[in-house]
Amino acid sequence: MGETIFVDLTAWLRGLMGGLGVPDLYNEIILMVVKMTAVILFVALNAIWLVYMERKLCAYIQSRVGPRHHGPLGLLQPIFDVVKLMTKEIILSKNVDLVVFLLAPILIVVPPIVAYGLLPFGKGMVAIDMNIGLFFLVAVTSLSTIIFWMAGWASNNKYSLLGGMRVVAQMVSYELPLVLAMLGVVMITGTMNLSGIVEAQNGIWFIFTQPIAFLVFFIAGIAETNRPPFDLVEGESEIISGPYTEYGGMGFAMFYGLAEFANLLVISSMCVVLFLGGWLAPFGWDFIPSWVWFFLKLYLVIFLFMWVRWTYPRIRVDQLMTFGWKVLVPLTLANIFITGTGIYIYRAIGW
Amino acid sequence: MFGQGLLKGLGITWKRMLGKKQTVNYPYAKIEMFPRYHGRFLLDVDKCISCGLCANACPNKVIQLEKQKVGTKQYLTKYVMRIEYCLFCGMCVEACNKDALKFSSTIDMNQYRRSWVRLTLVDRPAPKVEEIPAEAPAKPAKAEAPAKAAKAEAAAAKAPDKEG
Amino acid sequence: MKTQTYTLNLGPQHPSTHGVFRIILELDGETVVKATPVPGYLHRGIEKLAEARTYTQVIPYTDRMDYMAAMLMNWGYVAAVEKLMGVEVPERAEYVRVIVGELSRIASHMIAVGAMGGDIGAITAFTYTFRDREYVLDLLEMVSGSRMTFSYFRVGGVAEDLPEEFFPAVRKFLAELPGMCDEYDGLVTGNEIFQARTKFVGVIPPEVGINYSLSGPTLRGSGVNYDLRKVRPYGVYDRFDFEVPLGQNGDCFDRFWIRIEEMRQSGRIIQQALEQLPEGPIQAKVPKVIKPPVGDAYVEIESSKGAYGAYLISDGSPKPYRVHFRRPSFINLGYLGKLCEGWKIADVIAILGSIDIVLGEVDC
Repeated sequence: MGETIFVDLTAWLRGLMGGLGVPDLYNEIILMVVKMTAVILFVALNAIWLVYMERKLCAYIQSRVGPRHHGPLGLLQPIFDVVKLMTKEIILSKNVDLVVFLLAPILIVVPPIVAYGLLPFGKGMVAIDMNIGLFFLVAVTSLSTIIFWMAGWASNNKYSLLGGMRVVAQMVSYELPLVLAMLGVVMITGTMNLSGIVEAQNGIWFIFTQPIAFLVFFIAGIAETNRPPFDLVEGESEIISGPYTEYGGMGFAMFYGLAEFANLLVISSMCVVLFLGGWLAPFGWDFIPSWVWFFLKLYLVIFLFMWVRWTYPRIRVDQLMTFGWKVLVPLTLANIFITGTGIYIYRAIGW
Repeated sequence: MFGQGLLKGLGITWKRMLGKKQTVNYPYAKIEMFPRYHGRFLLDVDKCISCGLCANACPNKVIQLEKQKVGTKQYLTKYVMRIEYCLFCGMCVEACNKDALKFSSTIDMNQYRRSWVRLTLVDRPAPKVEEIPAEAPAKPAKAEAPAKAAKAEAAAAKAPDKEG
Repeated sequence: MKTQTYTLNLGPQHPSTHGVFRIILELDGETVVKATPVPGYLHRGIEKLAEARTYTQVIPYTDRMDYMAAMLMNWGYVAAVEKLMGVEVPERAEYVRVIVGELSRIASHMIAVGAMGGDIGAITAFTYTFRDREYVLDLLEMVSGSRMTFSYFRVGGVAEDLPEEFFPAVRKFLAELPGMCDEYDGLVTGNEIFQARTKFVGVIPPEVGINYSLSGPTLRGSGVNYDLRKVRPYGVYDRFDFEVPLGQNGDCFDRFWIRIEEMRQSGRIIQQALEQLPEGPIQAKVPKVIKPPVGDAYVEIESSKGAYGAYLISDGSPKPYRVHFRRPSFINLGYLGKLCEGWKIADVIAILGSIDIVLGEVDC
């Protein structure tokens, strides 16, 4: 039924505007604007839904009921949260670096939204189909580091400075295992185009051929999004909130609501696309449209992230660095080596 | 195996996630307190002989009582408890010989204004006694006075109930 | 290139200092060079207030010191008054004291375990222990009428007898207690991340522990077998059969694990006390106005945080001349400054959680 819903929508819009006599160039520009708005709306709506899901899941794990008062089952709770946060005062301490302080929460949402334009939601449904999609994705997600650092420095607060330094160390160290885990997948498929990677998993998903890479990608993904057990950036019991300590009202909402969940969405989507077969249906169950499969897998991975979050304690800074550099990087290098020899042997045998 | 403890932790949280929830939907569902619970104070005015043992037993001097001699007995005119200083230790309830002061199971004692917190259990004027040797006119006067006083006390005790 | 140390204030307002407690840290990067604890933000003057109250009126104030294990606080003070007056407590009252005291100890250790797990980052462990603590508080509410500040003890016994609905409820709780301890073991103690955070962190050597007068699980974690219930038994503790768990390394992990084991042993003690509970009065014949003879007395009991003592000086009047409490949390904090040197900020939190202080007790 709705198998190619987005493709049909774009074709209809093109036809509509061609019929109205709009020249082709403006046609494409308007379509691009519509696509960008759709992506931004998608990320924002998902962030609101994830706030609710996180609180409900957290409550269920701790054997209590989460939000229940506003709306049936508390579904309207995030809207009340957003309204409350918008009406709060943004307190500016005496010696903050004003431009940097106010820019940081605005800029923090930009990298995930840029990254979301590249992801394939379904068969042929990509906002921007880039040939080096994966490479671009990695480059964009690593921009978040400096923005966290900006927030930590501008707050003029020793706790925030500590948090900012920690965030730089953590995010830089864990990008290496992240990228190296992806290298195994790229080696097998030979392309960096995300739709191409999804289509290459037609026979068997990469989680079965590259289990070590999946595990390392998962762990490094938790570290990249600053969630427990790697959340020493926003320590909560040591450095109160790290770089976000001095923010209130909408700044707080940007960091905790939008940035954290948008980053989580990007990492989970990359997990689904690279290892879990993207929009491909398992066992060939084609009666459910491909984009529904994508969402199902996406929320399954997000559930895994949240489950791990509420179970484990947090690790210490030097243990984090030891784990990242001395355990994960050699694991991924070994994975690349094994993958390379495997490919060579398969080609030599002639499969 | 290295990750064994980690997997066990995941199993425990999975089981709790699917298990029974412990929340009581508080303002809409009432919690039953046990019979001995130290809740709101109740003073049975008819049993009280205004001896003042409760006021002496209190560590914080929470109870302020005033009495007046009517006829041969002491008549309780004012009994105010400064709940904002009360420790809810129960020494006053234990000290009362006549079982007049008791705890109830009411847990809602919060108010909107600070001045409404102070618990006035009894605030009534003492009845007038015309002549002490003449028993006959004094008796109907005394019989009327407790009826009037009972109504006044009921009104005074109801007022804090409505706010609480 | 030159580096310098900076001062960070782990201030009174902090989510993990178990109250309003301040530590001034001098840091070199993330490593602690010098730590200065500053207590006193919760000082309420209980010892001074006690001089203007009669002996029975002081009992509600002792509740407010270690509010997590308030029954044990009552016990120490009341035992000192009884020693001064020479009152003998009836047998049934002693057994009831043991039962409610051990229940209070379980409640206090649950908070210690949960709070340390929560400080390290496992917030789920925090809510699990608080959920289980509700059962203990319900039991104690059945007995005394309050959930946290009981004022249940009186000079010469206890205030009221155990009600009828208490016995099946406490048996049900004791049957579930090993399951609860196993859950904490599975979720927190066995977790590799938690072990990496707490093993060999904040090691207290046994001789240093004895020199600094540490007591309770803080000292027993280093392997020193000193539990006042076994060494100088008071009340009827010599009639029960229980073990004293000891640690091996003296690190944070041992101090954490000992508390879970002590909960199990307290369950055993309550079981035996319920079986041996005799009939009889619950309060000795004590005059209405308590006027001890002139003199002084000091009694120590094993509270959940360590050796808790009450020192009374009486001058023959109904009000005490001087009351002093030997608070275990305050004395256990004496070694904190030296203990934190060389560790990271995250370890300071772990160490503070493992010593398990309660600010009401530290500042009195």
